[in-house]
Amino acid sequence: MADNGTEKDNEKKKDKQKNVTITIDGQVVTAPEGEILLEVAQTAGADIPTLCYHKALAPYGACRLCLVEVEDNGQKKLHASCTYKVKDGITVSTASERVVKTRKVILELILARCPGDEYIQQLAHQYGVEKTRFKIRFNGEETCVLCGLCVRICREKMEKGAIGFVNRGWKREVMLPFNQSSDYCMVCGSCLSVCPTSAIKNKNIFGKDPILIPSEFEIGLTSRHPIYVPFPQAVPNTPVIDDTVCVHHTVGGCKTCESFCEADAIEFEQKEEVVDIDVGAIAVATGFDLFDPQQKPEYDYDGHRVITGLEFERLVNASGPTGGKIKVDGKEPKKVVFIQCVGSRDKQGNEYCSRICCMYTAKQAHLVREKIPDAALTVYYTDMRAFGKGFEEFYNRVQREGVTYKRRELDDPIEVIPDGGTVLVKVKGYEDVEADLVVLATAVVPRKDTPALAQLLNINQSADGFLLEAHPKLRPVDTFTDGIFLAGCCQSPKDIPDTVAQASAAASRVCNILSKPKLEIEATTAQVDQMLCRGCGFCIDVCPYEAVELKEVNQFGHIVEVAEVNEALCKGCGACSAACLSGAIQQKGFTDKQILATIDALGGIL
Amino acid sequence: MAKLQSIKEFHTFSETLTKGDAHKKTVIISSATCGLAFGARNLIEAAKKEIEKHNLSREVDVRVTGCLGFCEREPILIVYPQNIFYPRPKPEDIPAIIAESVINGNPVEHLLYEDPALEKAVVHESDIPFYKKQMRILFKNNKEIDPTSIYDYIRVGGYQALTKVLSEMTPENVISEIKKSGLRGRGGAGFPTGRKWEFCRNAPGTIKYVICNADEGDPGAFMDRSLLESNPHSVIEGMIIGAYAIGAHKGYIYVREEYPLAVERLTIAIEQAHNVGLLGESILGSPFSFTIEIVKGAGAFVCGEETALMASIEGFVGEPRQRPPYPAEKGLWGNPTNINNVKTWANVPLIITKGADWYSHIGTGTSKGTMIFSLVGKINNTGLVEVPMGITLRELVYDIGGGIPKGKTLKAIQTGGPSGGCIPASLIDLPVDYESLAEAGSIMGSGGMIVMDENTCMVDVARYFVNFLKDESCGKCAPCREGLYQMYEILDSICNGNGTEEDLALLEELAYVMKDSSLCMLGGTAPNPVLTTLRYFKDEYIAHIKDKKCPAGVCKPLIEYRIDQDACTGCGLCEKNCPQDAITGAKKEPRTIDGDKCIKCGVCLDVCKFDAVEVV
Repeated sequence: MADNGTEKDNEKKKDKQKNVTITIDGQVVTAPEGEILLEVAQTAGADIPTLCYHKALAPYGACRLCLVEVEDNGQKKLHASCTYKVKDGITVSTASERVVKTRKVILELILARCPGDEYIQQLAHQYGVEKTRFKIRFNGEETCVLCGLCVRICREKMEKGAIGFVNRGWKREVMLPFNQSSDYCMVCGSCLSVCPTSAIKNKNIFGKDPILIPSEFEIGLTSRHPIYVPFPQAVPNTPVIDDTVCVHHTVGGCKTCESFCEADAIEFEQKEEVVDIDVGAIAVATGFDLFDPQQKPEYDYDGHRVITGLEFERLVNASGPTGGKIKVDGKEPKKVVFIQCVGSRDKQGNEYCSRICCMYTAKQAHLVREKIPDAALTVYYTDMRAFGKGFEEFYNRVQREGVTYKRRELDDPIEVIPDGGTVLVKVKGYEDVEADLVVLATAVVPRKDTPALAQLLNINQSADGFLLEAHPKLRPVDTFTDGIFLAGCCQSPKDIPDTVAQASAAASRVCNILSKPKLEIEATTAQVDQMLCRGCGFCIDVCPYEAVELKEVNQFGHIVEVAEVNEALCKGCGACSAACLSGAIQQKGFTDKQILATIDALGGIL
Repeated sequence: MAKLQSIKEFHTFSETLTKGDAHKKTVIISSATCGLAFGARNLIEAAKKEIEKHNLSREVDVRVTGCLGFCEREPILIVYPQNIFYPRPKPEDIPAIIAESVINGNPVEHLLYEDPALEKAVVHESDIPFYKKQMRILFKNNKEIDPTSIYDYIRVGGYQALTKVLSEMTPENVISEIKKSGLRGRGGAGFPTGRKWEFCRNAPGTIKYVICNADEGDPGAFMDRSLLESNPHSVIEGMIIGAYAIGAHKGYIYVREEYPLAVERLTIAIEQAHNVGLLGESILGSPFSFTIEIVKGAGAFVCGEETALMASIEGFVGEPRQRPPYPAEKGLWGNPTNINNVKTWANVPLIITKGADWYSHIGTGTSKGTMIFSLVGKINNTGLVEVPMGITLRELVYDIGGGIPKGKTLKAIQTGGPSGGCIPASLIDLPVDYESLAEAGSIMGSGGMIVMDENTCMVDVARYFVNFLKDESCGKCAPCREGLYQMYEILDSICNGNGTEEDLALLEELAYVMKDSSLCMLGGTAPNPVLTTLRYFKDEYIAHIKDKKCPAGVCKPLIEYRIDQDACTGCGLCEKNCPQDAITGAKKEPRTIDGDKCIKCGVCLDVCKFDAVEVV
């Protein structure tokens, strides 16, 4: 079975060389010789039902629904199109009277086996079969049509065989070894994904629940596949394979996706790579993390009934997991509470104001009002910071829409307590409020990896953990390292207009540098007297700008290591001169000699 | 003995074997599965003891052979050279046979075969009607050889065909000889063997296989088993020749686990052939090498289908796959493979030795050679019969089979196993060849032939075969799996008196859909029993449905047992035997049956000596 892939490839290549002409339902079609008739006919627009066919699996020919009438050398015969390979000159009829009649009886037989399955009912309905004339089997409780897809994908693709057939003839059934779930099954769920009916779902074969991969973009509100497009507007908008969960990358085999990619674009050998790029400037726009509400147990965050503002955004988004319908446990919440300043303005934690929460909470309250007009909406806030253009007006409008704003002191206790199917929000000074949904306006916090980034770029962090600008008023976009600029929430919490403004500024600062033919640097940089330098490397250790490095030079026939200053990086701070034991590294215009001479000129020492 | 290194050595060796005394006194005792079941072992022991007692061990041989085909009378003892034929003698008869026949050469009259038709004792096998009309070419050597002795086989000319092939014939010559002979596959479908070999030979690929299909699954058929038990070397020789012609170096014999004796004798035969140098590396010093492996199947009927058989050899569940590709292109492990039935392989050495012309003179225009049938059912001479193709059913049933027991009338003959069909008595003069049988709606099959008399209900017969097939279908494709289940349900309801006329139409519709749409020939031929009975015995179906009667008196819910008050003598035998105490009556007075108590077991009918019990 393992060779199937290469064999199939070879066959494909070989067959590609020769095309054949066939007639399908009166339409003349050209196709590579040896191609599966079902695929050729479907491409030509024929509607052929099938239960057991799967592109990625070896042709099986069990359900017999895809039968078509093939005329070859004057002989008309029924063939399963999923196993029939096209050859020149055949005439195919996909819906002749004989074909339809046969399909109908087979559908009746399958319907007698699985009368209750919706998919089978629909399929039968398409052929005008509403009722079977045959005896209903299994008291009408069976849903498995024995198409074998689950068994085959497990064996052929997953290379496992954790599920198989037992018995033969009319007693045949799909079963686990010894009818028990085993650890041999890796719960990949492939059987579930190929089952055309509800059989695998009903069988409960896994013994444990399949582990769903939470969708990062949907913040875990829904799951994603191992192969996925990161988010709808991703650039480039191409799928990626998550090799930490992909069956092929973790245990081998599978490669099912390959059979479906018509562009042959899947490369399993592709690896993550680190790319070196030479750049003249860097704009840091790494964004922020959200405060983890679980650090504040009083809010009883559960990601379900008590959620964060961002989770609410996905819930209310038309392209989100619920298609824009605000639902908790499948029901519209009728009482919604918003709590602001979760993790912000916290004297024990983040002292700063996150700046965006007031307005997005107002927007979210407005959205709930729009979608659930009769919902009771309460917002607990401390100070309303509606400072931007049009913000105050919007705040007023939301209040007019019947959103109740309740002010509380930040130090006052607040508690969210689960109460059966709802929660109770207890706030000092107010009566307890029952809520179906609580939305927490969690703080904007620096990204977890900010310290590492700061170290890498040789820039600083301020006390709150965000990246530090060179000057809060005069150089709000620059850092202390030339050529590195800041934009957006990596520097401090800010809303979209502010972020755009700062990013534009950073971009223009970058242009400033890149537009000049030569880079202007400080005049006062360090320089090394190579004859004095002993190559000890102290200067390298003390240089905060990584401007000094050792290089080999030929001195009178001897190869020795000496320090060399990269003048483009050197800021002329003088740390190296001070550290140099042999006085070999000096600042231009500020050599020891010159300084001592200056001092002398001023009247000497003492 | 040492391996024979060349064809010349083989001929020298074979000559020394044939030099022995051709007229040496020999006691032949047939001992295949059926013979053994009837005590052949005791017979052999008794014979040996008795011969020793007379101090004749050196003068008289005891030869334990395979089956002689006359199942009704196995085990058979033949005294050679006089050829005195004793059907099923008892161990206590042995002293008389040794004393009278072996020593004096005279038949023991009271132990001889008495033919019911001729109404007299027959001394020689060749005079017995059962054998007279047969043409035993495959079975010819059965009484000549001990199946566990390769020397016996070589002595009667065995492996001469192989040496001829290896020394004089190219693979192409062999194929053209087989093509010329007109030999067709004996497994059932009747595909020309030579052409099949040619496809396989011409198929691209360096590794090729030959397979002997010995998965004989038809109920009541045992031709292949008998051949393997009685003359395994003929099959092996055929396979070696076939492998040479095709270019294969490895062969498999797929035989069912429930044929232990066949497996045992085959194993011995293969080992002996290896030891003599007729199997293995460079056979008889030629550049040709070939080995055979026995693969035992678990006895699934569907494994007789070639693609399922190959799946089983490969270690997978025996399930057919779609053809094409045919095994000749892509068979075992994807390599070109040639599969033939046991009887087909056994025919090969005969054709090579005696020539295609000789062979093609036997049989009809399109069906050449002989066919072995296992003649069973309601027939006097149950047995394996080898007849030339084209013989009529009448000759088979009446001349060879000795007609229907108890003077009952013939109703139908079922050929081709469960996938075959029932041929009505009205077609008794039908010649037995591939085309005629197909025209009648049945198939040649691999040789099963079940004779049915007036007491056979044809609806019940159809139900029986469909029931067998519903269990034996592999269950892979929907029309076969679900279709057979539903077919059985419909037939069952008809047999139970619940059938409707719509059922009949549905049955027919379903049958044609299954024929048209099933994946393999199991499903494709499975409706044959239904279709042929519907074609020839529709009135019986109608009787079950409309009149709620089973004319043959078989379907219990539709029959009633009654005692003819005039015929009953009041002997009370039925009353004594009735397990339900349903029969009552005063002493010496006619009995009556209580219909409520009666379970229709039929004991009363069987025991009544006055034909007073009737089925209505």
